[in-house]
Amino acid sequence: MSKKISRRDFLKIGGATATALAVGSMLSPKVAQAAFDAGTLNAAGDGFVHSMCEMCVWRCGLIAKVREGRVVKLEGNPEHPHSRGRLCVRGQSGLMNTYDPDRVLTPLIRVGQRGEGKFRKASWDEALDLVANKMLEIKNNYGPEAMVFSSTHNLSQPLFENLLYGFGSPNYGTQRSLCFNAMIVANQMTYGMEEPARIYNDKLEYIILTGRNLMEAISTSETGELSQAIERGVKVIYLDPRFTKTAAKASEWLPIKPGTDLAFHLALLNVIVGEKLYNEKFVKKYTVGFDELAKSVADYTPEWAAELTDIPAEQIRRIAHEFAAAAPNALAHNGWRTSNFVNSFQTQRAITILNALVGNWNVTLEGAAGEGSGALGVPPQPPFPRVSALRLDGVPWKYPIVPFKLGVFQELRDNIVSGDPYEPHGWFISRQNPIMSIPDRAKTIKAFEKMDLIVTVDIFLNDTAWFSDVVLPEASYLERYDPLNIVGDKAFLRQPVIEPQGEAKSALWIYKELGTRLGLGDFFQYEDEEDFLRQQLAPLGVSLDAVKAQGYAVLPESEEKDPFEWNTPSGKIELFSETLANTGFDGCPVWQAPPEPPQDQFYLLTGKVAQATQFGTQNNQLLHKYSDEPRLWMNEDVAEERGLADGDWVKVTSAVGVVNIRLNATPGIRPDCVYLTPGYGHLTKGLTTAYGLGASDSVLHVTYTDPASGSQALSQTFVAVERA
Amino acid sequence: MSEHGSTPRYGFLIDASLCIDCRTCMVSCSVENKVPMDNTRIWIEETGVTGTFPNLERYTVPYHCMHCKDPSCVSACTVAALTRNEEGVVVYDPDVCIGCRYCMYACPFEVPNYEYDERFPEVIKCDMCYDRLQEGQQPACAQTCPTGAIKFGNYEDMLALAHKMIKDNPGKYIDHVYGEHENGGTATLYISPVPFEELGFPPAASISPAVSNRLVTEGTPTVAGAAAVGLTGIYLTIKHAKEEAEEERQAEAAEKAEAAMEEK
Repeated sequence: MSKKISRRDFLKIGGATATALAVGSMLSPKVAQAAFDAGTLNAAGDGFVHSMCEMCVWRCGLIAKVREGRVVKLEGNPEHPHSRGRLCVRGQSGLMNTYDPDRVLTPLIRVGQRGEGKFRKASWDEALDLVANKMLEIKNNYGPEAMVFSSTHNLSQPLFENLLYGFGSPNYGTQRSLCFNAMIVANQMTYGMEEPARIYNDKLEYIILTGRNLMEAISTSETGELSQAIERGVKVIYLDPRFTKTAAKASEWLPIKPGTDLAFHLALLNVIVGEKLYNEKFVKKYTVGFDELAKSVADYTPEWAAELTDIPAEQIRRIAHEFAAAAPNALAHNGWRTSNFVNSFQTQRAITILNALVGNWNVTLEGAAGEGSGALGVPPQPPFPRVSALRLDGVPWKYPIVPFKLGVFQELRDNIVSGDPYEPHGWFISRQNPIMSIPDRAKTIKAFEKMDLIVTVDIFLNDTAWFSDVVLPEASYLERYDPLNIVGDKAFLRQPVIEPQGEAKSALWIYKELGTRLGLGDFFQYEDEEDFLRQQLAPLGVSLDAVKAQGYAVLPESEEKDPFEWNTPSGKIELFSETLANTGFDGCPVWQAPPEPPQDQFYLLTGKVAQATQFGTQNNQLLHKYSDEPRLWMNEDVAEERGLADGDWVKVTSAVGVVNIRLNATPGIRPDCVYLTPGYGHLTKGLTTAYGLGASDSVLHVTYTDPASGSQALSQTFVAVERA
Repeated sequence: MSEHGSTPRYGFLIDASLCIDCRTCMVSCSVENKVPMDNTRIWIEETGVTGTFPNLERYTVPYHCMHCKDPSCVSACTVAALTRNEEGVVVYDPDVCIGCRYCMYACPFEVPNYEYDERFPEVIKCDMCYDRLQEGQQPACAQTCPTGAIKFGNYEDMLALAHKMIKDNPGKYIDHVYGEHENGGTATLYISPVPFEELGFPPAASISPAVSNRLVTEGTPTVAGAAAVGLTGIYLTIKHAKEEAEEERQAEAAEKAEAAMEEK
């Protein structure tokens, strides 16, 4: 990132919009009444308001500096365990999302063809009446299951779920199968929990990161913890086919062959079991299935794995020795987006087992406190209606062990297109962009074309909103309340830092208004957002004003849970899982060979950059200002062999799509791989900064689903690359 | 204004081993200081990816004004738009700047940026977030750096920490605190696992060009001899401009004080 911000071909920041942050005239200088009432803003509209970030799902605590009713700077809240006084690059840029000139600030109703982007402004009453009437018509004609609902990880999701389960639909699309299903299902099968918490303390000596690119896929607290660990001299082994910014910081970068992480971990298990390097006491007392595991990994020697992984056998053996010697102060990290190959679920199982074998439990890993603490109140509501229709995403009739909560989003899309086992007719989407997120974008657009009704709730005219019939403008995270978020022993508050702009409304308001029109008012028993929060706070005996001033409420001490109890069928850590064996899967991890690219083709890799969250931040001008041009990475020697030079335009072709993009010829990637910066290639002209930049990875991605965890295998797409 | 070469009050210690090139510092700075969208006060210098696959390395580091103890830019500034204040912070006053850009040529660290496209262009340069310092806050970059690569504090503490880091971690850093002696010493200090030339840092001399600049701008008859006589005209012109600027500033301050009194 050079001194001169002068890459005019990439940079699209116009003169008119450049001053959006500095000039106040385009916005009403209203003071956020709530913050004013709570005393966090003075009469002039100056002050500091505590709230929560939403530039990714990590939800760091923030303190917003407000001047004359405008937010002028965001800082990390030192009291929040996720931010610890710091925000990442996305968090720092968050006010630009709120003040983006492309915000949708009134309800919109489509007037042109779908995808043409022609809308007219409408009142909330007209838009909500239209949506409710259409939804009821679909319910009457085809049953409630004909409405699909989808939303991505957010704090108002419980109310979204009230809407969908109250309506009576089983069809719920989340992003999870495109992200971490493999990791979550593996942890559930091994430890009986979604994801253990990782402990980075002073004693930690050794970390194995399997594709966990923490220096670019930033979680402020964990990225900081890893940095401090590296500063202390902790040894970090990093597996990735690409020389990422984490690779640059690791003690050893292992450019492993894609799809063979499972072989690497099976070999570690083989050495640790074969040479009796495991923690015998721990294994005996707290695990089941050791004998089955020993049998299962007996043949997976480092020499066997070396052939598959391109990592020398002696290096694998040494890492096994070092990891076992450092245990229990060692950590094999599960990773986050673990959906890479159809064998990723077994890779995840191998990682969880590796930690258990050497006794890392309760030292570097522990049971995580769930999000759903019983300490908070909830508004009363009736039971949901019984649902008898099958879920369109194949859970559980095709995917027996995938939890309902996770689902299989790509399968849901496929079955909308096929109309099997039945035809849905409407899709209600909140804070999600399935056109960009589900693999094989052309197919997702086909699914959209089949719908009688598409409704999107968002702050922007994102790609999915662009294809919608009705767009409902949500208030941004700096303009609204959300339900409380529990982290550690505190419940943190998201509150309006400024008044919502235009007609934008909170999700709590939108769902209640729509729910009431659908006859589901009993599922939304709160007067307004503040009343909802007061009901949540009631059992704590603390006032909303106090929480607004402080930013959080302290929770009563919860009962100490035995750290050595696991919610598995055996009550122990399951090295061998009977649940898996009984449902037709391997009870212990075994090698599954992934497909390889045909001659002259490449593995297509994606992975985060620090300046973006999925598909939602490319329009943020501050992030855009400091982002690199999205390009296709190719090994420089391979490029040279093909007569391609850095900066050349290339055509990238997969089995389902074609994109054009410029080449980044670099030594930092395996010769058999190419990497595409994800999240670009937007279809919508409603994002004026992002439109026309880069190429979409979802255009190229082929749909492959792991039958065990329901994970989409995102690195299993192969592409041909030629001069454009 | 502080004496040439005096010890600054504050200092940065920037550690190339911790920088992950996430650019949080850059966004934080841009927002705090309302930096124009096509300009920046802080950027990343880097080695690029070096070595051959799979033995690769890459180091990056944020780069901004060094806040020299004897700043060349201040000595080159004909109107005292750039000054080094009592706390050793090199600050800029756009109202005084005449846009001559001598500072850009003078700076051995190539720091000042310029708004070439503006009708009333300003020099763009770090001022240690001086307003934040007044409020007891850290500069925007240091406050938020997710990895702690940018540390900020008392200058002498930062210098001591730099040497301690090198001493306590044998083999990790090269034995060089960049900024300790460069250009006569700077308030921004760096430590790095690789030589600073590889990061693209200029091999600054240990004596600031400000010393020779002052031969022109302030005149030192004992050294300058005949050449100085020839430069006297320039010297007088510049001196006059500096004095004028100072007078203007004092008049403005007096006006403000008067206005404040009237309000009461």
